[in-house]
Amino acid sequence: MSVLAHGVGSRTDLPIPIGFALYGAGAVILVSFAVLLLFWRTPRLGGPASGRPLPAGVQRVLDGAPLRRGLQAAALAAAVLVVAAALLGPAETSRNLAPWVLYVTFWVGLVPASLLLGPVWRAANPLRLLHRLLRPVAPAAPGAARLPALGVWPAAASLLAFVWLELVFPGRAEPITVAVFLLLHAVVHVALSLWFGEGWFARGDGFEAYSTLIARLAPWGRRDDGRLVLRNPLARALATPAEPGLTALVVVLLGSTAFDGLSRTVWWQTGPGAAGDTLSGTVGLLASIGVVAALYALGTRLSGRLAGQAPGVQPGRYAATVIPIALGYTVAHYFSLLLLDGQHTWILLSNPFGVAGVDLFGTYGNRVDLTAVGSDAIALVQVGAIITGHVVGVALAHERALLSARHARASDQLPLVVVMVLFTLGGLGLLFGF
Amino acid sequence: MSPRRTAAAVLMLALPLAGCAGTAAPAASTRGTTPPAASSSTADTSPTPSEAAGRRIEVAFAGGRVTGDTGRVPVPLGEPVTVVVTSDVADEAHLHGYDVLAALVPGQPAELAFDATIPGVFELELHDAGTVLLTLQVG
Repeated sequence: MSVLAHGVGSRTDLPIPIGFALYGAGAVILVSFAVLLLFWRTPRLGGPASGRPLPAGVQRVLDGAPLRRGLQAAALAAAVLVVAAALLGPAETSRNLAPWVLYVTFWVGLVPASLLLGPVWRAANPLRLLHRLLRPVAPAAPGAARLPALGVWPAAASLLAFVWLELVFPGRAEPITVAVFLLLHAVVHVALSLWFGEGWFARGDGFEAYSTLIARLAPWGRRDDGRLVLRNPLARALATPAEPGLTALVVVLLGSTAFDGLSRTVWWQTGPGAAGDTLSGTVGLLASIGVVAALYALGTRLSGRLAGQAPGVQPGRYAATVIPIALGYTVAHYFSLLLLDGQHTWILLSNPFGVAGVDLFGTYGNRVDLTAVGSDAIALVQVGAIITGHVVGVALAHERALLSARHARASDQLPLVVVMVLFTLGGLGLLFGF
Repeated sequence: MSPRRTAAAVLMLALPLAGCAGTAAPAASTRGTTPPAASSSTADTSPTPSEAAGRRIEVAFAGGRVTGDTGRVPVPLGEPVTVVVTSDVADEAHLHGYDVLAALVPGQPAELAFDATIPGVFELELHDAGTVLLTLQVG
């Protein structure tokens, strides 16, 4: 329906000013080489055993079943409300709660929630509750033994399916699409969890894997002995377990966000994507992910070869260092969507079914204020997020290189750093609109 | 050397922000009270042949094709804008974000008039056909 919008949205951001793009690009290149040449020369960040433990009482509450079941029940109730609103509420997207909740409040809101609070969707995933309720039906979980070998590949596939729906499928903004997607997602993942066991959700549910991935940069997490600790987010990111498919997950995330930026450019809208149909969108999305994957594999393998390490293990080894870059892209592209078009959710929540005379919170008559955040502030946040993500990513890659070889030469890290610089310049270029 | 250059870069990053932040408020205040004054002050940046104040954009939809001012159309922030839409089918033109609507009767030009007070990029879309006529870039 709408060419510009990611899922839903009434506006998109202005291209960033050329000055922002140029200064951003300069800063990125400067910082990258400073990290290589001037930063620490021995591993500095704490390992998986580091961190300041939280009080035992706090951990008991946070890890306790009552909190998790409560969150899951609340999320389930919210999901039922959203599906019901999608099916029974107003037919037009602008007056229906469901598309705004799914594409803006939930999908975009998951990022700040996970960044600040940790893997929130693992705690609140309502499908885990459904799984527990249905487990007596299939208590054996016949596929559980095969799950570790799959790693997070299923989650990468699940995430790819969602970003395709969000960025490509022409009917994505229709309430009925949202209802069908949510029901399908629930049925498929609960069924798979009965086959593979509850461990499926961490490895197969794209939303949960996404939230967990972003949470690697949260200020607190779990030490390798199970204690919840306050910890340097950089150390936490590096301690990300190297699972099969982690690289794919990160690459899907980065590539799809890059495609979202690409699809907003005049070049795309008047060139390859002019038709605005499923084919051009699908090809564009897969090509974006493909380019990111190829560059990333090239950079990591080349760095490994220079350092005399097996090239095959390199992409997996450095996957966690791309998380901050992907996060920077995500913040840059969706920050304004959450703050501006996200207002729809709170307005429509006041009357989810569009019944005349209903106004639960007295906000139904409000209009979305699209000037709540100025375009200069948006541009500054965008460039700031991209650059911050880049700096953290390069620093993590540097530490990772030192961990894998104590006397790693700066020149060995060069190919990966160059690829990261390309990602970041690409991100700035997309924001500038070429 | 490098810290100083970084500091300079940060400073340069901050400068355009300060400059734009200063101009945002007056632009917003003029359009609310006196639209003609706002348009005369911006006339030098946009030489419009139109006799009316502000920017006039004309776009046509015929035989499934969009002609005229299509694609990305830039408009200065605060400018009064008139979009004239001509369609060979009955439909409704909808400018997203501004939520301006105009019913389209085949062959008869319809006007959407508004002040471009919200910065951003917005689609002008045919509601029933789902065709994007143009995208308005305000700011």
